[in-house]
Amino acid sequence: MSESQVDVGDDAPATSRRVAPFVVLGVLVVIVALVVVLAGSSSGPKDEVGLVESPLLGRAAPTVRSTTLDGAPFDLARRKGSWVVVNFFNSTCAPCRAEHPALVEFVEQQRSFGADGAELYTMLQINDDIDRVKSFFLTRGGDWPIVRDDEGTANVDFGVALVPETFIINPDGVVVVRWAGQIDAETLSRLVQQQRDLYGLS
Amino acid sequence: MSRTSAWKQWPGWLALFLVVGGLLVFGTVKDSGPLTPEERVEEITKRIACPVCDGETVYESANPSSVAIRAEVKAQVAQGQNSDDEIVAFIVQQFGAQTQLVPNATGFDSLVWILPAMALVCAAVGLFFAFRKWKHNVDAVPDDDDRARVAEAMAAEDDAEQRVELAEDGAADSGEDGDES
Repeated sequence: MSESQVDVGDDAPATSRRVAPFVVLGVLVVIVALVVVLAGSSSGPKDEVGLVESPLLGRAAPTVRSTTLDGAPFDLARRKGSWVVVNFFNSTCAPCRAEHPALVEFVEQQRSFGADGAELYTMLQINDDIDRVKSFFLTRGGDWPIVRDDEGTANVDFGVALVPETFIINPDGVVVVRWAGQIDAETLSRLVQQQRDLYGLS
Repeated sequence: MSRTSAWKQWPGWLALFLVVGGLLVFGTVKDSGPLTPEERVEEITKRIACPVCDGETVYESANPSSVAIRAEVKAQVAQGQNSDDEIVAFIVQQFGAQTQLVPNATGFDSLVWILPAMALVCAAVGLFFAFRKWKHNVDAVPDDDDRARVAEAMAAEDDAEQRVELAEDGAADSGEDGDES
């Protein structure tokens, strides 16, 4: 009697005992895989500062037709033949404001090259306060063209999520450098010079 | 007997399966009619994550990049040249894969859709077999050993009850005695 009791009672638990390690192993594998995937995934471009990837690199710069703060028409395609630096800016962004003296210095450096110097353009964001931008440039200096982006097209076409960002466009109108975050004058000049050298070789 | 009763139930299960399956299919492929441009913009921007902020869609974010993306989506919808998927693909190409909230249903990404469905089917099949096994155990015919065990248990229970009754009687008697004294 007691024997049969043991047989009947042990049948199901014995199967469970055989299966349980595999179930536990399966769950563990899934959890470890999730941790590995999540730890390895980047949290997006917001953490990156410096040279970053862009689908635009090596391709023609997007079309930008707009007006400057002075009301003059601006067409990026018409800047072909010159080295162009486009700096995306927002007057409320602290790194943009901190970066400003470096841009002033960079423009002065490039002007010393005469016609060969790179041209700098500031590209605004869609909902920036134009009066605040004007007063910022008045007090902090900077006499290069400031381009409006009232439709947001330029920011989207360049894939700019977080300002400041700086792009270098060669005389063929091809985007060659994308720099995310604040940049200093020396780095920006060096990057332009590197690209000039590469362009001269090709 | 249990087998025949299980077979008698199958039209009910089939009806349940058809209703649930039909509703699922209807829910996934239903066409709520043509959308207005505003509804399209809303639907598309809810499929795109704000590239800068955490846990917000472009639809609800006030970040300048999200505002610019909303304007771009609105412009593309107004042009009417690209489908919703194409507009989302364009934005994702510009701002990176982390802005895509709804995974693709093709290629490697389709695993995201297929695996949970497979897990659900596996779980349902597992439950089916588990229930069937439990039912078989219930239907088992008692043998002599089982009967003997039950008789033994009942006899033991009777003994215990008798003992409890006797004890209660004894307690009652002593209680009455106590009241009298």
